[in-house]
Amino acid sequence: MAAGFKTADLLEYYRRFLKENCRPDGRVLLEFRPTTLNIGSISTADGSALVKVGNTTIICGIKAELATPTVEAPGKGYIVPNVDLPPLCSSRFRPGPPGEPAQACSQFIADLIESSEIIQTDDLCVERGKLCWVLYCDLMCLDYDGNLRDACVIALLAALKNTQLPEAVISTETHLPVVDLEKRHGLKVCKHPVASSFCIFDESTLIVDPTDEEENLSTARITVVTEEGDRLCAVHKPGGMSLSGQKLQECINRATVRQKEIQKLTDKVLSSVKTS
Amino acid sequence: MEVCGISNVTLRDFSCEQSLLSRPDGSSSFMQGDTSVLAGVYGPAEVKVSKEIYDRATLEVLIQPKVGLPSVKERSQEQNVRETCEASLLLSLHPRSSLTLVLQVLHDDGSLLSCFLNAACMALMDAGLPMSCLFCGVTCAIAVDGEIITDPTAAQEKECRALLTFAIDSKKCRVMMSSTKGSFSVQELQQCIAISQKASEKIFQFYRDSVQRRYSKNL
Amino acid sequence: MISALKDKVGQILVPGDEFCCGAEDTISLTAHVQPEKVVCGPGLMRSADRLQVCKSGVLRHKEPNMFWMDSQQKRYVPTKGDAVIGIVTSKSGDIFKVDVGGSEQASLSYLAFEGATKRNRPNVQVGDLVFAHFIVANKDMEPELACIDGSGRANGMGIFGEGGLLFTVSLGLVRRLLAPHSEIRSDLQQLVPCELLVGINGRVWLKSSSTQRTLIIANLLQCCDTMTAPQRRTGGRSALIDCPSQRWRM
Repeated sequence: MAAGFKTADLLEYYRRFLKENCRPDGRVLLEFRPTTLNIGSISTADGSALVKVGNTTIICGIKAELATPTVEAPGKGYIVPNVDLPPLCSSRFRPGPPGEPAQACSQFIADLIESSEIIQTDDLCVERGKLCWVLYCDLMCLDYDGNLRDACVIALLAALKNTQLPEAVISTETHLPVVDLEKRHGLKVCKHPVASSFCIFDESTLIVDPTDEEENLSTARITVVTEEGDRLCAVHKPGGMSLSGQKLQECINRATVRQKEIQKLTDKVLSSVKTS
Repeated sequence: MEVCGISNVTLRDFSCEQSLLSRPDGSSSFMQGDTSVLAGVYGPAEVKVSKEIYDRATLEVLIQPKVGLPSVKERSQEQNVRETCEASLLLSLHPRSSLTLVLQVLHDDGSLLSCFLNAACMALMDAGLPMSCLFCGVTCAIAVDGEIITDPTAAQEKECRALLTFAIDSKKCRVMMSSTKGSFSVQELQQCIAISQKASEKIFQFYRDSVQRRYSKNL
Repeated sequence: MISALKDKVGQILVPGDEFCCGAEDTISLTAHVQPEKVVCGPGLMRSADRLQVCKSGVLRHKEPNMFWMDSQQKRYVPTKGDAVIGIVTSKSGDIFKVDVGGSEQASLSYLAFEGATKRNRPNVQVGDLVFAHFIVANKDMEPELACIDGSGRANGMGIFGEGGLLFTVSLGLVRRLLAPHSEIRSDLQQLVPCELLVGINGRVWLKSSSTQRTLIIANLLQCCDTMTAPQRRTGGRSALIDCPSQRWRM
């Protein structure tokens, strides 16, 4: 009966649940799906992490390469994030060049890295104007079930914290870079931003951590990124139904709590990796 | 929402012209200071089968930068503009048809995203597409000393600590779109929203005046 | 609400403007209160207890209670009953596909011509111009045209267009041309004799004694949107005078 109702009118099916302050998967409105984190899953990468938020699975691998710094910023290295949504993760995505969702998410991650200053790009410089590190952060979605951005941000942060850069110097004799793969040191990650995504149903109902189905049915989506100390580093709402200031405050409050939860989770997983 | 302490919102001079192009079904050019965007709308027109949606029109937004090809940055701006337009247009009145909005940057001197939104709104209005409300874009920059500058120039954007762009709707003056860069506090965010809401009143009045000017010949 | 609407007649409204449909503030206890009925034309929409404007333009009114938005749109959206000029784009079996400038091509049955039967097919070629009206036009179905009225008569409709010129103008101008006492039309009549066929979809077909004259009138009509009435009259006269008179007779 319920299955038939669901097929016939999915939106109404959801509305009935939301009226009772719960969702079809058993969560209450402001509850996240269980989040699991695995760090260092790719042994060939310089840093990596695998995140699961409910069914949504993101794997992040970081590859460090040496390059010459840009002319505008000779004392800085750079970070190049890229989000890939392969056809594997959902039937919605086609093979070929990245589509709009993937490109928009890549830009979002790039903006986030820049605005929160997770890593001081000065730290990536080996020798001013001559040599610096470039961090290629590849985020690949293995299973797409909504809330891509939250999962991407967690994966990126965990992978950056896991990254061990080899020691590099420019040799004085040959003037060529020499890399010592045995001597490695961790990156200094100064901030800990965490994204929280929300969906709005029918102008008023606010839900957190939407699944793919919920994202498609909702009238608006919003992603709030918070750091420690209750600062915000992104409030991204691509459009959709307009939002009152009060609802926005609700989102921010929930996001602040979520930031603490995720930071605790990341620290716990990191320390467990170190001890083992 | 009322916030005390907002004396006067200063925006650069803006100007607008509607239906200046002959081929598109609706067109506009919008200028905010030296920032200038040209917009053209085609539709409701025939839709490709692969993009057809059975119960509403398909909206496509294309942003053309001043030089070079559109990149990832333009893609994310396209998404912002598209979803804002989708929320204000009554797309279900033209099912199985396509709407195309093309935005060409003529000159970028800061607050580009808000200029895109304003040009888009004027062009959609000019095309006579059914809309539930109007929207406008306002950019706020938070300077290093905490001062909030509305409608910043490119130079001001470069120096600022955070840059926030909002789309405000004309009915309830609420936030339809938000895109931010840099870090800021909750209070600063709420302050910027309040300022944008205040600025939106000016812009909506300007919209009304330019439509008035356009229809002055057949009043 | 009617009074609120009437106050705004002739003024500019933009999408998002609203009229409250609720009862008047003061209700007379003695007088018989008649429920207000408003007929909404294009650009006005009812949602719950409010009347919403969804297109920008000038609010117009027709007695007793018809209201609509007069907007200058370029793209035509098919409406039932509209008489339009179409171009036949393909023949497939029993129907012709006709381009009317809307989002979808309209279909026209070969039987929808005066005197047409299964044996006696009308002679229609791809590229022909056809003047027809919509018998089916809504957002969910393919629009359908017919060249006969309810009683099976052509009534001026059908294939046409020998030696004339087809051009497009804005939909607002077409409506001004078709209005019962159109100023533009009467001005044109005084200027020069010509044959004029106007489709509500923004297409105008024109034929006069010479190609040159036809072109002048066509240009004049296309400029009408941006000209005031005196400009139109003087502009038209001077353009026709510039045209050498000998050639008129050729």
